[in-house]
Amino acid sequence: MNTISLPALKIEQGPGRALFSFAIKGKDIQSIASISRVKRHEDELVGYQRPEVSNHINEIKKYLESENPMIPNALVIAFNSTVKFVPSEHNKNFGTLVIPIVEDEENKPGLIVDGQQRAAAMREADIDAFQMPVSAFITDDSQEQREQFILVNSTKPLPKGLIYELLPYTETKLASSLQKRRFPARILDELNHRKNSPFYQLIQTATNPAGVVKDNSILKLIEASLNEGALYFYRDAATGTGDIDAMIDVLCNYWSAVSKTFPEAWNKKPKESRLMHGAGMTALGHLMDTIFERYYVDMGQDTVTEENFQSDLERIKPYCKWTSGFWDFGRVEDLADDVKPKVKFDRQAENVKWNELQNVSKDLQKLTNYILARYREEVWN
Amino acid sequence: MKFFFPDSHDYVDPTFDFETEKNNEHRVIQRDDKYAHELFSKPVYDGILVSKAIVDGVSGVKGRYSVAQRQRFFREGIYRFFRLPKTYLTMGDCGAFSYAKEHEPIYTVDEVNEFYSNAGFTYGISLDHIIFDFETAKKKVEGDQLEECLRRQEITLEKAEEFLIKNKGLNFGAYGVAHGWNPESYADSVIKLQKMGYKRIAIGGMIPLKSPEILKVLKCVNDIRKPDTQFHLLGINRLEHIAEFANYGVTSFDSTSPLMKGLKDDKKNYHTSTEDYTAIGVPQVDANNNMRKLVASGAINQNEAFKLEKACLESLIGFDSGKVAKEDVLSILTEYEKLYNPKASRVELMDKVLTDKPWKKCPCDICTDIGIHVVLKRAAARNRRRGFHNLYIAYEKLQLELKKINQVK
Ligand SMILES: [Zn+2]
Repeated sequence: MNTISLPALKIEQGPGRALFSFAIKGKDIQSIASISRVKRHEDELVGYQRPEVSNHINEIKKYLESENPMIPNALVIAFNSTVKFVPSEHNKNFGTLVIPIVEDEENKPGLIVDGQQRAAAMREADIDAFQMPVSAFITDDSQEQREQFILVNSTKPLPKGLIYELLPYTETKLASSLQKRRFPARILDELNHRKNSPFYQLIQTATNPAGVVKDNSILKLIEASLNEGALYFYRDAATGTGDIDAMIDVLCNYWSAVSKTFPEAWNKKPKESRLMHGAGMTALGHLMDTIFERYYVDMGQDTVTEENFQSDLERIKPYCKWTSGFWDFGRVEDLADDVKPKVKFDRQAENVKWNELQNVSKDLQKLTNYILARYREEVWN
Repeated sequence: MKFFFPDSHDYVDPTFDFETEKNNEHRVIQRDDKYAHELFSKPVYDGILVSKAIVDGVSGVKGRYSVAQRQRFFREGIYRFFRLPKTYLTMGDCGAFSYAKEHEPIYTVDEVNEFYSNAGFTYGISLDHIIFDFETAKKKVEGDQLEECLRRQEITLEKAEEFLIKNKGLNFGAYGVAHGWNPESYADSVIKLQKMGYKRIAIGGMIPLKSPEILKVLKCVNDIRKPDTQFHLLGINRLEHIAEFANYGVTSFDSTSPLMKGLKDDKKNYHTSTEDYTAIGVPQVDANNNMRKLVASGAINQNEAFKLEKACLESLIGFDSGKVAKEDVLSILTEYEKLYNPKASRVELMDKVLTDKPWKKCPCDICTDIGIHVVLKRAAARNRRRGFHNLYIAYEKLQLELKKINQVK
């Protein structure tokens, strides 16, 4: 029988519990291990792996084919007892792992317990010499394999906030969902740490827990503006980044104007001020885009100054109840006399107490719609 | 006769790579995408219709638009948002179907007016409430059913009156809506709307009706139509009756049917001027729901499915460039089909479309651009483009019909 021999390190973790650590060419993995797909075989559960996820595999494949890839976390393979460890003469913990090569997919000596997406990516990727670290154990017991599978796959994922804070300080190719967030995360980082920024140290992140505004609220408004609003005008469509200084200028001008228009609501905890809450940030973020376009697109100004923003913000100030009172969401516009309705009005009054606004999309939409409708009425007309 | 296309986010990524099946990763949805009017070198509709329910959502439920898209829609107005040349018409409606089950319409007339006028529509349709029943010789509408029909007609007429009063000083043309449950009640609505002062009337609720029923309604409302009243048919696309529609005072209609057939119809989803074909299914192993379930349950082997899927695509592309024989394509297609749909074979339908190669004969920009991919039933990038092609065919047919009418005159 053909075999493949690989230098390996034996790690004893307990009596009868031996792990083997070795490296193998990515392309060779499929010749020693297969994937134990979950299915029922005459009512009995066999296997444990979920199906491959192409998107995920493609992400890894793209990464593997990028300039200088590195995958530090090892695949976990469970071998059956046809695999033997032959210790070296000098040290019983170093040696050679002898693995039989079996063509038949069903009877390969190894089963991939962890890393099936990585293994599939290596199968697909255009790489030849990439070496993949492997941790293996030898057992003929399918229950032990299943247990290891659950153990390695139920670890807690990293908190999102920490990932976002680390993002701007990475350059390598990342999964596209993270890749998309890297540039917005960098803008957030600048806003939080530039001395002249109105948000200087106000944004709550993993390393700045004292901040009053949630990082996620700011990220969302930056992303919305990059896609749909003011920041889009400074975006570079080819790279997904853009003129960051111009963007920071827009954001600083606007939010400085906000802080001056609503001094009583700025830099308070969200509990005390709905302005610093997800609802206020979202609604005022959309208002930024609307005011910006009025000056930048409609009036053709090169920049929109803090004073421009402030003069427009003053017009909606009377409608805003960030720290006390009631939002008058049922408000009906007064129509000019000649169009006054002869038919009775069917819209009901709807007052919402300032601190009843929640960070849920229904409330965010309601507040956004209200503020923008008032703005259009006061400023456009 | 003007054709309006009701939009519900129907655009495609122009940079989609049909070989690697990848979108541009930095693309901003909608902004970097293209609508049918941007993809074709000649019009495939005269205008678009956008409903408030699509943009705003229905009672707290999110609409098809994100909050940020919706706000930009209002900032930019409909023409800039859709990058629509001013030569096109635009029509707003409420999307009555989305709240048809409610007791009353969920919007107010003021909200509707605000929507049309902020967005800058050419025309706006008054707030209405759909009537579901239609009387036939066998099935009388009476009792509670009649009561409900009357109530909904009443609401629709009341709202139409309020809408017209408040339309003064606004910049769009107002349409009143006529609903009914038989030709006479439709005529009744039209009489009342004309009395209020409407010169443009949309006729609603006729989508489920058969063509002879529609024609009966139109004949009846045409009898009491004032000479300068124009009708719009909501959601109706029966091109074979265009001449009759025109005779009864219809000047416009809207329909998503050509597009929807391309996306959803099981059999006739690729249209040509003479024949309708079946697109060739090549479902994605990891995106097609049916396929995903079969894989997740272990009923089919994922690796084998991936291999067959890939082989199908490659042989179809090879066939289009003349390198692969039809028989070979069909054999791999049927092998894959056995995996995801072992019961029904579509081999004859697939044979037909591969034999006729209708995409090679179609002069439209989509078929010229993507070739055989237009007849592959596989994810939005292809399916929606096929829908667009169907729009092109439908509009060509309409123009032909209109030419005939003019020649008779
Ligand atoms: Zn075509």
